[in-house]
Amino acid sequence: MKNNNILVVDDESSIRKFLRMTLSSQGYAVIECCCGRDAISKTIEDKPELIILDLGLPDIDGIEVTRLIREWSRVPIIILSVRGAESSKIQALDAGADDYLTKPFNVGELLARLRAALRRVERTADDPIFISGHLKVDLTKRLVTVNGTETGLTPNEYELLRILIKNGGKVLTRRYLLREVWGPEYGDEFHMLHVNISNLRRKIESDPARPQLIITEPGVGYRLRTGE
Amino acid sequence: MNKIRWQRYPAGIGLVILATLLGHLVHTFFAPANIIMIYLLSVTVSAVTGGLGPSILVSILGVLAFDFFFVSPFYTFAVDDTQYIFTFSVLLLVGITISYLTSRIRRQTEIARLREKQTAALYALGRDLVASNNLAAYIKAIAKRIEESTGFNVMILLPEYERAASLKVYSADNRDISREEMAVATRSLQEKCKIRINHNLPVVGARLYLPLMTARGGVGVMVLCSNTRTPEPNPMLDHLIGAYTDLVAVAIEGIQMAEEIRDAQLVKATEKLQNALLNAISHDLRTPLVSIIGTLSSLQEESMQLDPDTKHNLVQVAREEADRLNHLISNLLDESRLKAGVLCLNRQPSEIQDLVGAALEQLKPAILQRTVLIDIPDSTPFIRIDFGLIVQVLVNIVENAVKYSPPNSPVEIQAYNADNGVKIEITDRGIGVPEQDLEHIFDRFYRIKHPENVAGTGLGLSISRDIIELHGGHIKAVRSPAGGTQIIIELPVDGLNGSAGKHEFEKQ
Repeated sequence: MKNNNILVVDDESSIRKFLRMTLSSQGYAVIECCCGRDAISKTIEDKPELIILDLGLPDIDGIEVTRLIREWSRVPIIILSVRGAESSKIQALDAGADDYLTKPFNVGELLARLRAALRRVERTADDPIFISGHLKVDLTKRLVTVNGTETGLTPNEYELLRILIKNGGKVLTRRYLLREVWGPEYGDEFHMLHVNISNLRRKIESDPARPQLIITEPGVGYRLRTGE
Repeated sequence: MNKIRWQRYPAGIGLVILATLLGHLVHTFFAPANIIMIYLLSVTVSAVTGGLGPSILVSILGVLAFDFFFVSPFYTFAVDDTQYIFTFSVLLLVGITISYLTSRIRRQTEIARLREKQTAALYALGRDLVASNNLAAYIKAIAKRIEESTGFNVMILLPEYERAASLKVYSADNRDISREEMAVATRSLQEKCKIRINHNLPVVGARLYLPLMTARGGVGVMVLCSNTRTPEPNPMLDHLIGAYTDLVAVAIEGIQMAEEIRDAQLVKATEKLQNALLNAISHDLRTPLVSIIGTLSSLQEESMQLDPDTKHNLVQVAREEADRLNHLISNLLDESRLKAGVLCLNRQPSEIQDLVGAALEQLKPAILQRTVLIDIPDSTPFIRIDFGLIVQVLVNIVENAVKYSPPNSPVEIQAYNADNGVKIEITDRGIGVPEQDLEHIFDRFYRIKHPENVAGTGLGLSISRDIIELHGGHIKAVRSPAGGTQIIIELPVDGLNGSAGKHEFEKQ
């Protein structure tokens, strides 16, 4: 495994310690700091490959830290916060965070999100073929097959799926999806998005009531589960 | 009032003219002494109807007229017989005496009538007090009574309960108070003094600020408002106002004391409930920690030789308990937010399948061993709900279903269209809730007596009911025909494509 540098920003030393042990055991090199200002200077100096960021920092709020870092860096940022409200998730994602996990979190889940985020960076050229379980999407030929049978998607459904695949593993807010698929003048027509997601699920999920591919982040948006 | 009083003087002059005419008609038959009697009669009439001033005028005019018309030489004020000087003096004296005595009787009658009116008004005020124990309503009643009997508009200002520095206005017509008036009222209460002021802008008119004093100190200020610049000083009215002020002060104090007692009782009851809550919560918070701390400490203990299976089981149990603790804390937070009223619904058109999927995703560890049978037709309409909160409800209910039914038994989730809404049913194959408990399982801290080994605060269902009712829906529990419990949630579709929801979308 590659020795990725991961910057852990949290003002609770017990959480930093726990993350350091967990991440080190997985072969990651961990840099730690406990406030927003340090997080920004360490991001400049040490050039971490991923940042795990708490929101409730003593000096600058994590959402603001995300916004500041995003002004000049595309380093993946995973938010790890006790704030479970939909609005703070949306705020963080809109500010440029890649993912959002609520504390307390499941280590397996964190590692999966972390790997997905790193993979998105490493993938230099877009992989033309996406495979997850029984779903196979050939992005060059715009061909979607489920269990080997070709499935017809409407242009919007295909576009939705393509954007989810391109951001594999990342939580995408509803507004982002609407603007990406339907255009910048859309952003509030959640109903339209829900209907399309629902139709897409019926076509690609084996059990639409228990989706395994397109995961709903309640009140926030959707995420495509990749590989894990 | 003034105009009427001035009119009495011409009336007095009229009386003298009338007496003279009458005297002229009879003076050929009657002696002058009898004509004097006619003038005395007119003095008496004037005193009774016109008061002191006019009747004295009538006395003087009467003497002059008698001299002029009926004493020789006629039609001059000159007198032949000096005896008449004496007659004139006595006539004048008798006239003035009659005037004075009659007007005194008149004044006393007036006072008695006013007293009676006052007593009746005060009595009515007292009756209002007995009839009402609500401060605001009573003050409005008082204000109206005082307005009726004095002609002044009344405002009563009381210190606010929490912030004694600011005064709250009560009045019969919900009038506003200007900053200027408020400042004077505050000063009147602080310095405990009556203040009579003519306000200019922005309010015009005379104000009388009366501090309401009781043995405990000032309870508030009563303000009498008149639109004319200066109300004429009137000792009778002042007396009545003084009586009102005292009565209102005592009444307000009485009601305030009653309210304080009621508040104290409420605080006591709340404290009792809080204690019960605290006990239940601390029990439920600690219980999962027992196995978490137990597991961790036994793993730490090097002397304990644990085989991998035991280790695995211990960790598994600790993990489940930690999840439960986390879930309990979420419920507690949700509940305090619900109770504090800060939880506002973020309604979005949502699909039931998506809802159930998201709930099951959250429940993954709990339902790993269970078969969940889902039956949701594609035709089920979208409903406008707060997605996150309803997912929380489903998580609570499915978790309960799993908790109260045997391992490996299935849990069913069904949804279907109901009139103007959607019904979601969650059914387990457990022992079922006893008939008498069905109605109570949504009450706070209600737990069924029988399965002692099952943990939980009984908070989950009460929060679920609050959330569903906040959405305008219903939730109930019934015994399922196949045994076990069935929870039925009914949610209104609620104007899915309506424009009403538009601005709510924009909130995000």
